[in-house]
Amino acid sequence: MERKEARLRWIVCILLIYSLALAVPATSGYAADAYPSRPVRLIIPWPPGGSNDLVGRQIAAKLSERLGKQVVVDNRGGAGGVIGTEAAAKAEPDGYTLMIAAAHHTVYAPLNDKLPFDPLKSFTPVARLGSGPNVLVVHPGVPANSVKELIALAKAKPGQLIFVSSGVGGSLHMGAELFKITADIDYKIVQFKGGGPAMTDLLGGHSQGFICSLIAAQPHIKSGKLKALGTGGRKRSAILPDVPTIAEAGLPGYETINWWGILAPAGTPAPVVARLDGEIKAILAEDEVKKRFLKDGVEVDYLGPAEFGKFLERETANWTRVVKKAHITLEK
Amino acid sequence: MKRELRSNKDFWAGMMLIAIGLGAMIIAREYRFGSTLRMGPGFFPVILGAILVLFGLAVVAVGLRSGEKIQGHLSLRALILLPVSLALFGALMELAGFVPALAALVFVSAAAGREFKFVEVLLLMVLLTVASIALFIWGLGLPYPLIKGI
Amino acid sequence: MELFQNLIFGFGVAFSLQNLLYCLIGCLVGTLIGVLPGIGPMATIAMLLPLTYNVPPVAAMIMLAGIYYGAMYGGSTTSILVNLPGETASVITCIDGYQMARQGRAGVALAIAAFGSFFAGTVCTLIVALFGPPLANMALNFGSPEYFSLMMMGLVTAAVLAQGDMLKSLAMVVVGLLLGIVGSDVDSGIKRFCFGFYELADGIGFVIIAVGVFAVGEIISNLSDPEERVVFTSKVGSLYPSREDIRQATPPILRGTALGAFLGILPGTTPSIATFASYMIEKKVARDPARFGRGAIEGVAGPEAANNADAQCKFIPMLTLGIPASGTMALMLGALMIHGITPGPGVMNQKPDLFWGLIASMWIGNLMLVILNLPLIGMWVSLLKVPYRMLFPAIMVFSAIGIYSTNNASFDVYIAGMFGVLGIAWRLLGCSPVPMLLGFVLGPMMEENLRRALQVSEGDPSVFITRPISLAFIVVSLLILAVMTLPAVKKRRGEITG
Repeated sequence: MERKEARLRWIVCILLIYSLALAVPATSGYAADAYPSRPVRLIIPWPPGGSNDLVGRQIAAKLSERLGKQVVVDNRGGAGGVIGTEAAAKAEPDGYTLMIAAAHHTVYAPLNDKLPFDPLKSFTPVARLGSGPNVLVVHPGVPANSVKELIALAKAKPGQLIFVSSGVGGSLHMGAELFKITADIDYKIVQFKGGGPAMTDLLGGHSQGFICSLIAAQPHIKSGKLKALGTGGRKRSAILPDVPTIAEAGLPGYETINWWGILAPAGTPAPVVARLDGEIKAILAEDEVKKRFLKDGVEVDYLGPAEFGKFLERETANWTRVVKKAHITLEK
Repeated sequence: MKRELRSNKDFWAGMMLIAIGLGAMIIAREYRFGSTLRMGPGFFPVILGAILVLFGLAVVAVGLRSGEKIQGHLSLRALILLPVSLALFGALMELAGFVPALAALVFVSAAAGREFKFVEVLLLMVLLTVASIALFIWGLGLPYPLIKGI
Repeated sequence: MELFQNLIFGFGVAFSLQNLLYCLIGCLVGTLIGVLPGIGPMATIAMLLPLTYNVPPVAAMIMLAGIYYGAMYGGSTTSILVNLPGETASVITCIDGYQMARQGRAGVALAIAAFGSFFAGTVCTLIVALFGPPLANMALNFGSPEYFSLMMMGLVTAAVLAQGDMLKSLAMVVVGLLLGIVGSDVDSGIKRFCFGFYELADGIGFVIIAVGVFAVGEIISNLSDPEERVVFTSKVGSLYPSREDIRQATPPILRGTALGAFLGILPGTTPSIATFASYMIEKKVARDPARFGRGAIEGVAGPEAANNADAQCKFIPMLTLGIPASGTMALMLGALMIHGITPGPGVMNQKPDLFWGLIASMWIGNLMLVILNLPLIGMWVSLLKVPYRMLFPAIMVFSAIGIYSTNNASFDVYIAGMFGVLGIAWRLLGCSPVPMLLGFVLGPMMEENLRRALQVSEGDPSVFITRPISLAFIVVSLLILAVMTLPAVKKRRGEITG
């Protein structure tokens, strides 16, 4: 008898909790008259750590100061960014969900035909924050001291040089494929789970070359454990001013950089985007921010919403061409 | 010779292994097998699945010979309610926020126990919720809304 | 005695009030997050990294390092007390540590875990100081063939050491290998066994499986037992190990330290491999292997020492070569670079205060953790006096939050629930989940390195025996196999003659 009563009580109680749980989100639909009236969520589609996360956290801290409301970092790692990006694409376009995007964003579409979002159409560009060149490094044992010599070496031994890569379909992998196509050479690309193990393999001399982020290679270039043959930007990098760009060293038109920007779900009101863009522009003008970014290998490289949108379209078209030409398929 | 298969421990263990192995092989047929020179993504799963099926057959054979019975008890209530409480937690974290998710988790999982004292569970729920908020939200700064929309 | 001078210099740096304070903060935060599953040192360090901008680099590194090994200490606490692995590397501690707790020996288990960790930490601090650079260069010789042969040796050892139902143990290793395949294939990028869920593309998290099988599975099992109402014996017994305990635990601690130090130097291994290896070795050399899984103190002492030794030695490739051996180390590397320090062979000369200060503070941190933890043992153990009906919802809460917070993903929580059910099924069917976990850890590395090695060698399998280090591992594996079959042969002969 008593037991029955107890059971009834907890059923009632659980029902109560549910109704509460369901009722609460229903009341949250009110419009924001003065943006922002509550905390803003910044999705970082990668796990904590790494340059994407660092850039995101720094910009979140600065935006919180300027917007007067907390900008909360929400790490949604997984599937090379797809999970977090999907969460951002499907969020309410009210300006309270933003996302950090990086170079990988323009490689999703050419490689995956079944994405749960459209990298261009599902988003409204807010601003590009910065960029950082990649760098072509080789093991010191490789008898090539310039991009031209490396190309000649690869032509002499087709398919025998081994390049490491940090993951299929990543922007660094694309950089290595593009190098192949542009120079019309052939080498093996061996995949690793992330840049760390790939770098270790190269340092041990088990492989010959790597196109990777400048910041990751920098200590090894300085200590002489790797040779830097060229950087991937249009201009020489401030971090390695003595190293030529790959384009000027013998491969005109070649470019491989990483970049970071902020996207909002498509349909985010224009005034909100304008407000955010304005604040970001001001933040990026601060010397302190520039310095901190540079320490993480990021050079401030601002683009406003319209230019950033065009940049995204151009990059996507570019990588689509590379993927087709290099016959890269993620099987099934 | 007819043995009771329904509670034969090794028979079912072997069946489980065979099921996993066969399942893996069937799904992995869609992946390129490759060759020993250049293994495709299907190579490992197919081989492992086959090995597992063999192991499973051997375990079944052992089971048929020894006829050892499954021992121990299983509380269906715990088996169902505990995973359900986790599922509720996950769903409510997305829909309603940290506090409702925790409340549901504590309530439903406590209901899986042998005794359920209403007042005690209520106190436990409040205590654990407050402690978790202090520890995770304030202490470690995890970015979860306490109740969504507020 | 240059080393002495250097160490004294290092202690001078580390003993400044400020650095001691940061060390203490790091250790406290580390212990806290170590106790909680899911939230690991990596996420915490990432969250705290921006705070260290305004702190001098030495102090910042000391604090971050404190978090790192504090987590290693803390991770064992919940493993022992409630079978909830707080940290990836403390899964193995669950097996015998939790059984000890059920027998009223939680205090002893905690104390031995702390002692073992401290000893390993001390030894490895010295190793880092003495042999850092040459060891790091040796580790660079490990390419894909070497790693594959090493993993092979691990699997062979596992097969040999499988006790009780050998057939089922081996089968469970294969189940683990298959579970390890779930996720994106490194070579082709295709998503295997993902059933269309992008959430599975990075594979199933080790902590998710471990918490599901151990913590949730254990609770279901405890609640299922109709007779046994008391999960833990009410008498708590002595909190500190007896002389007999210490005698039994010493050799495993020594072996675990050596093993952990060796595996720790290799950038391609994870601490969980060191703990598995240590556990298997202890089980093999024990006079009465049947005690394992029923509260053998060696099963706590060895892996705990191995875990800490591994964690400590992971600093060698990071500090001397600038190679991050794990995600956490990558963050530390990042922290160094934020402060304008380029890790590598030069760091010792360019920034001696940082290098030696950090090394000295590692030892101070380890000492602090023992001092912090020993008095806490009484408190932790008294936690077990809480009635189980109130304890288990609390375990569920910590499991759920811990898992959710890893990726902020509900999906992971659902998967953990599923593994709770699987765990109980395996238990009823007499299939041990431990070999499964081993397969799960080794599998992906084995496949990856095998395929990579063959891709590089153009499909020529002789790479595994023409390269000396790889050959050595294969020879050792064969020896282990031979040693295993010998006793069996002997026994049969004994039967014939007897």
